[in-house]
Amino acid sequence: MTSRSLIAALTSAALLVSPAPAAAQSASGARPTSPAPAGTATPDAGAKAPASADAPNAPAANTPAASGAPPAEAPPRAPEKVDPGVFDKALKAYFDGKPRDAAGPLYAWLQAAPKTDENYAWGQYFLARSLIDLGLTHAGASYLARIARERSNPNVLPRALDALKALTDRPHDEVMIDQQVFGALDLGFLPEETGAYAHYQQGLVDLRVGNERWANTHFAKLPETSAEASRAKFALLVTRLKQAQEPSDEIIADFLALSEEEKLTREARNEAALAVARLRYERKDFKGALEAYDRVKLPELDPGRASLYLEEAWTRYKLGELRAALGILTTLDAPSFRDEFLPDKYLLRALIYRDLCHYLPAKRAAKELTRRFADSLEAVRNREDLTQDVRLRRAANAHGGTQRAARFLEVLELEGERLGRYAGSFGDRLFSHLTKLYDLSRAEAVRVHDARLAEAVRQEADTLLRAAEQVRLMEYEVGLKLYERVKKGARVVAPEDEQMLSPTQTAYRFDGEYWNDELRSYRVRIDSRCIEETP
Amino acid sequence: MRYALLFLLLLSPGLVRAQAEALENPGAVSAIQERRFRMHHELLLGVGVLPANAYYKGLVGTVGYTYHFNDTFAWQVGRGTYSYNLQTSLRRQLERDFNTSPNAVAFQDQVQWMVGSDLVWSPLYGKMAFLNSTVLHIEAFLLGGGTVVKLDRDGGFRPAVNVGLGMRLFTGKTLSLRLDVTNNAVFTGPTRVIQVPLIQFGTAFNFGATE
Repeated sequence: MTSRSLIAALTSAALLVSPAPAAAQSASGARPTSPAPAGTATPDAGAKAPASADAPNAPAANTPAASGAPPAEAPPRAPEKVDPGVFDKALKAYFDGKPRDAAGPLYAWLQAAPKTDENYAWGQYFLARSLIDLGLTHAGASYLARIARERSNPNVLPRALDALKALTDRPHDEVMIDQQVFGALDLGFLPEETGAYAHYQQGLVDLRVGNERWANTHFAKLPETSAEASRAKFALLVTRLKQAQEPSDEIIADFLALSEEEKLTREARNEAALAVARLRYERKDFKGALEAYDRVKLPELDPGRASLYLEEAWTRYKLGELRAALGILTTLDAPSFRDEFLPDKYLLRALIYRDLCHYLPAKRAAKELTRRFADSLEAVRNREDLTQDVRLRRAANAHGGTQRAARFLEVLELEGERLGRYAGSFGDRLFSHLTKLYDLSRAEAVRVHDARLAEAVRQEADTLLRAAEQVRLMEYEVGLKLYERVKKGARVVAPEDEQMLSPTQTAYRFDGEYWNDELRSYRVRIDSRCIEETP
Repeated sequence: MRYALLFLLLLSPGLVRAQAEALENPGAVSAIQERRFRMHHELLLGVGVLPANAYYKGLVGTVGYTYHFNDTFAWQVGRGTYSYNLQTSLRRQLERDFNTSPNAVAFQDQVQWMVGSDLVWSPLYGKMAFLNSTVLHIEAFLLGGGTVVKLDRDGGFRPAVNVGLGMRLFTGKTLSLRLDVTNNAVFTGPTRVIQVPLIQFGTAFNFGATE
C-alpha cells in the first residue's frame, strides 16, 4: 500500500459513507397521509388542504395564434384543455393504490394548469410519488427536485425533500439531488432530519472545494447525536488526512472513536476501522493494524470485501505470519472474489512461497499474474483504449465515483426499459416527455461515467504495471535461487512447532469448497524448505 | 530382480506425479474456527413413541438432565420417561374374538415408565448448508447406559440395557433440537429379554456454556 493509494482509498470511503435509510415516513411506496390537497376524494385528506383545482387558465389565450404573434418555425404544442376534475380523479386513483392510472392525468393537468395554481406543487408531488411507486425513481426525483427549486408551496416542500432524501439511499443523480437541491438549499425552514442532511451535504460540497471553515459552519449545526454528525466527522478526518504530511496519533484516535460510533451504519464503522488499519500499517504498527482489521464486523455469511482480505494478508506477511497470510490468499480465490482486480494477490503469494523457499510455486504464482492479465498488459503496451479492456473496466467500475456513476447509469437503463411497459397507460404526452427525460439523463450519465472511467482505468493500469514489474523482478530472483548451489553441511531449517488446536476450536479441512462462514478462518500448514548453512 | 525393477518402473509415474503435485501446490489448508456451540448443563424435554410392541403403542414424554464434561463426552445423569399406552386393534381383536385375558403374559410387557442414566459420546460435529443460505450446525452422538423399567404387572420393575444414537441440531447457544433413537433390552425373566425401542424428539436447553 502506498500513501497515495491510502489517501485514495480513504477518500473513496468518505464518499461511500452513505446516509442511513431514511425514516419510513417518506420511503418510496409509502402513502403520505396528510395534508393532501382538498377537493380530492381521498379518504385521508388532511386538514390543511389547498383549494380544489377548478380554475386553470384558458390555454388557448396563451397560444401564439391567439395573441397574434407570428408563428415560429417549431411552435411549442399548445397545452390541451383539461377538465379541472382530472386532478381530483388522478389523486383518487393515487390514493386507491393505482399510481399507473394517476400519472398520466396528473401530467396532463400539470401541462394545462398555470404554475401559480395553488395545487400545482401538489400535482408535481403526486406525479413524482406515482412515478417512484412505478419504479421510475429518476423521473420522480426530477419532479421532486423541481418542487425544491421552485419552492412555490411551503406545505409540499418538506415532503418533497423527505422523499428526495429517501431516494439518496440508492443510485441517484448526484448533481441534481445532492448539489442542486441539498447543496444549495436555504436551510432555515427545513424539518430537523432533512435539515441535518442538507447541512451535511452542503458541508461536503464546501469540503470538496477546500473550504473547511465553511464546512465546519454547516457541520456545527448538525445535532450532536445525529448520524450525519458522525459522517461529517469522518469526512473532516479524511480531509485533514489529505492535508497532513504524516497522520498523527490524534487522527488515528478519532478514526478509532468513529469505528465504535453506534450511530453510524455498520458500513461506515467498518470504513473507519479500515482507515485505522491502513494508517497503522503505514506507520508500520502491524499489530495495531491487525487489531483494527478485527474490528471490521461483517454481517453473517457476508463474504466481505476483497481489498480488506488483501490488506490483512499484507499485514500478516509483514508480521511474519506467512501461513496465516497464505490462508487469507486462499480466501481471495473464492468464487465471490474471482472477478476482483487484485494483481497484488499473485505478488504476495509469490513472496510468501519465496520466503518459505518453495521456489517452483513462487515462480508459478508470479507467472500467474502475467498470464491472467496478459490481455490487459498487452493493451497497455499497445496504448489501446483502456476503457475497452474488460478487466480494467470492471476494476475501475468497482469502486469510488466511477462505481456510483456506473450504478446510476444502470438504474437509468433499467428504468428506461421499464418505462416502455407504461407506454399504453401513461398516454402519448407523458410517455414522450419521460422518454426524452431518460434519453437526456442517460446521455449525461454516460458522459460523466466515461470521464470518470477514463481516469479510473488509468489508475488501475498503473497498479497492474507496478505489480507486473515487481513480479518480473521476483521471477528473476527466484530463478537465481532455484539454481543456487547448496553448500556442504547445509541442512533444512527445523520445522516450526505446529500450533495445536485449542479445545474450543474446530478444524475443517479445505478441499476446494468455499463456505462463507470460513472465509476469515483459513490457515495453511506448510513446511519451510529453506536450508541453513552451518559455518 | 527383474520383477523388482518392473515394479519400480510401474510405480515411478505415480511417485513422480505425487511429488510434482506436492511441489506445485505445497501445504494443506484448513479452516480453523472457534466452536460455535458448546454444551454444559443440558435439560431435555422430549416426546416420542414406543413403536415396536404389537399389542400396544406407547406415547412417551421424557425429562432428562445431562452434564457435558467436554465437547465430546457427557453423562446423561438421569432421564425419566412415562409412557401413555394405546392398545392396538390386534389386542382388542384378541380380547374380543378369542377371549384372551387382559392379564395374559404377552400383554404384561407394556412399559409404564422407566428411568435411567447413560454415557454420551459425540464424535461428530459439523455443519450443513440449508438452501445455500443458512449454515446449520449439527452433532451426532452415541449413548449407552442402564435403565429400570416398570412394566404393567405386579412387581414389574426390570433392569435394562439402553443403547442408541442421536442427532442434535443447534438452533442457538441455549437451545438445540435432539432426535434420539434408542433401544432398551429389558430382562423380563432369567432367560427372557424383550426389546423396547424408543424414537424420541426433544428440545434441549443448555445452561452455563462458555463462549
